[in-house]
Amino acid sequence: MAHAPVAARPRVGVVKFASCDGCQLTLLDLEDELLSVVEHFDIVDFPEATSARSAGPYDVLFVEGSVSEPAHLERIVELRRKTRLLVTIGACATAGGIQALRNWADHDAFRAGVYSNPEWIASLARSTPIAEHVTVDAELRGCPIDPGQLVELLTALTTGRRPQLPDEAVCMECKRRGVVCVMVSKGIPCLGQVTQTGCGAICPRFGRGCYGCFGPREQANTAGLTSHFQVAGDRPREEIGRLFAGFTAYSEPFRSMVTELGGVRAGHGTTTTTAPAPRGGKA
Amino acid sequence: MVIPVSRSFRGNRPETEGPAFLARADLQVLFDILREDGRRLIGPTVADGSIIYDDITSVDELPSGIGDEQAPGSYRLRRRDDERLFGYVVGPTAWKKWTFPALVPLTRATRDGHLVTFAPEQAAPPTLAFLGARACEIAALGITDRVLIGAEFIDPDYMVRRANVFIVAVQCTTSASTCFCTSMGTGPEVSEGFDLSLTELDAGFLVEAGTPAGRAVLERLPLRAASAAEQYGAAATVAAVRAKIGDPVPADGLHDRLLAQLDHPRWAQVAERCITCGNCTLACPTCFCTSVTQATDLTGAKAVANRTWDSCFSPGFAKVAGGSFRARPRDRYRQWLTHKFATWWDQFGTSGCVGCGRCITWCPVGIDVREELNAIAPPVARSPESHLVEPVAATPNEFVIARVAATKAETSDTTTLTLIGGDPAFSRGSPGQFAMVALPGFPPLPISISRFLADGIELTIRGAGPATKALCGLQVGDQVGLRGPLGNNWPLDRAFGRDLIIVTGGIGLAPLRPVLHAIIADRRRFGDVKLFYGARTSADLLYRDELEQWGKRDGIDVRLTVDRGGPDWSGRVGIVTHLFDQATWDGSNMIALVCGPERMIQATSTTLAGRGVSESRIHVTLERHMECGIGLCGHCQMGKYFVCRDGPVFSIAQLGDTFGREGI
Repeated sequence: MAHAPVAARPRVGVVKFASCDGCQLTLLDLEDELLSVVEHFDIVDFPEATSARSAGPYDVLFVEGSVSEPAHLERIVELRRKTRLLVTIGACATAGGIQALRNWADHDAFRAGVYSNPEWIASLARSTPIAEHVTVDAELRGCPIDPGQLVELLTALTTGRRPQLPDEAVCMECKRRGVVCVMVSKGIPCLGQVTQTGCGAICPRFGRGCYGCFGPREQANTAGLTSHFQVAGDRPREEIGRLFAGFTAYSEPFRSMVTELGGVRAGHGTTTTTAPAPRGGKA
Repeated sequence: MVIPVSRSFRGNRPETEGPAFLARADLQVLFDILREDGRRLIGPTVADGSIIYDDITSVDELPSGIGDEQAPGSYRLRRRDDERLFGYVVGPTAWKKWTFPALVPLTRATRDGHLVTFAPEQAAPPTLAFLGARACEIAALGITDRVLIGAEFIDPDYMVRRANVFIVAVQCTTSASTCFCTSMGTGPEVSEGFDLSLTELDAGFLVEAGTPAGRAVLERLPLRAASAAEQYGAAATVAAVRAKIGDPVPADGLHDRLLAQLDHPRWAQVAERCITCGNCTLACPTCFCTSVTQATDLTGAKAVANRTWDSCFSPGFAKVAGGSFRARPRDRYRQWLTHKFATWWDQFGTSGCVGCGRCITWCPVGIDVREELNAIAPPVARSPESHLVEPVAATPNEFVIARVAATKAETSDTTTLTLIGGDPAFSRGSPGQFAMVALPGFPPLPISISRFLADGIELTIRGAGPATKALCGLQVGDQVGLRGPLGNNWPLDRAFGRDLIIVTGGIGLAPLRPVLHAIIADRRRFGDVKLFYGARTSADLLYRDELEQWGKRDGIDVRLTVDRGGPDWSGRVGIVTHLFDQATWDGSNMIALVCGPERMIQATSTTLAGRGVSESRIHVTLERHMECGIGLCGHCQMGKYFVCRDGPVFSIAQLGDTFGREGI
């Protein structure tokens, strides 16, 4: 991240790739801060919000969605060329999204199973995060992103300070908020320990286990957690694999766990444990 | 345990001297008095499947008849068979939530052109009463007092919050499997640091004041004098809690023991299990590490610095430009454990741990600090000599009579005799020791003890010569003469917290069988345990039922091999050292116990050395001609040792260059 303010009134774009638009909506949902955001940022491109269009350049470009179609490969490179700070937002952009589960499956069979005219569908065999293709300056994790983290990033941009996007376990947030651990007190499997916080521990606060939508935190000991699930929880491998096979399944080390344990159902109730194709170079 | 007597009663002072009793129905009066005094009451209540501390106003909100079951990584509520209000053990909440909140604004700052301002936040905390603080928790408050307001620089926020708290302590009348206050010297008895203390009985509470403020409240309560039975009942209950907890982490010398083990391989092993999630530190009532984060508005003109709980387990905690000082999870686990139990003493004059067990229960993967401490820094073991006992029959011409209670044919030529009676010292003997066994007319024989019983021993004897054949031929009811237990023992205490390998063949398993019994009885004190055992044929394997049980049930890695296979054998064929061929383990934290012919011992120790097991960690039992068994006859001399008296167990390092030398 830059340490100086990006511009007096930075030109901001918001674009999407393969995604559901939910993260863009988080920006629109800021409500209290929205007017102030528009005051401080010149939003030049935001199809979800305005019909105004700009071809760039951008001081800050928020990118939602994963690279999932052949056309995306060129488009993301082109956008990167026109952008000073590229910020990926959401699990699709930062991890490949839920659509990356196809990376463990037969892409052609998927396409044929879903669409009556599969030949009309131009999609890549793998859904990949933006950072697999271009350099990313900052990322906001989550499905969807957290409004508090978005505001933190925006305010950090205007003052030129490093945004505080802590790379620590969701557990830290549970404990600070006095949320009783669902794993210890109810035996619910929870990925909070290996997942980066930022969500405010929203799932445990509602009595369910974290499903890792913010993706793995630094040095996530997924092997240790898996071993605990197997030994203490007596859970079958595939069930544990399924825990990791969510919105950020394609992020290491969740990816290795899914590959090793299985857990991705490839149509018709069959399970595949095929390793995903090797990571490609930058497009 | 003595329930201290309140120092002074006025107002409702009972006529008779002695502890005061508050009826259960009158507990609400205490609530009301504290609230009348303008205090917010924080106490135990059931929420989210656990007993948390939260705002309460009424006795009805207490966890009446609810207890808990705690284990490493597990907490469950359970219905008690009584209506006790405090029949539970400490839960997920620590009082630091109020004395040292998770988020505290520190400073508000502004920037206007070239000008900046910094305004410290002034805490205006509510006036609180903590209801139900346990001994360990009160000790924790004392520890954080030392850390945060006990020296030159103080935390003003903590100081003002702490000063505003009235503490109603509750004596523990039950404990959890995770408790170890007794080892840390903090409980279960509450003895100081409280305003009022309660000891719960079925019908009400024994009440004591600990401060003038507490006395002032006590005097407004509707009390009567406690009966002798109530006083005895209260004291006995708390004493029973102490007895039940025991002493899970012997703390004597723990500071030095732990700091001497900074390179122990166990740090890396526990780090494989540890998720470094930080739950232990945030659940801990004394962990005080924080980070300050800055929040700004979009103009950057206004900023606020917030202090939040942080954890030395998060990788970012020790980061500087260029990396982290404690980059590996093992570094961070070691930092936490050594700080809690060792360097805290150096910094603050106390342990950083109060033994409340929260870090054990609330570790999602159930890592138990007690287990790690006992493995990394094992309690100082008594020297092997000190727990060897003096036999009654101490001279070569004395024998104590024992009776054959059972015989079992182990193989075609080997029998196990169960001998009842004999010297009572046998019941306190140690694995590795032997007995001199005598039948009239035969020379007494040194035989390894293959099992220690409460009232006797087992001997496993191979009928090789006339005397051993005579012993093998004994029937139930026959008598023998015994002297012992004699000799030294396998140094099992050296193996606490380490991996262990036992290598032996044929009858050599007999002196090692009590080692396996001892390990199984206390399995968690040992790391990985392997048994490599060979025999001539499968029919020559001893203790076949036990071998199977050790492998299947008792967590021993049993590997067998025979010199000659046969139709009934589908396992390995070859000598015992061939079992090492497939193994890939590392012996740097391993103790080896070896019994067999000297050539086999030599081959085995060479193989072990190649895997990082140093000569000082390879222990062997030697065979020599023994007659007296007590170092008087000279038969068994080997260099500077008498094998019977100084051995039969030696380390290879101890034997030096006498070992393996022909003709010594």
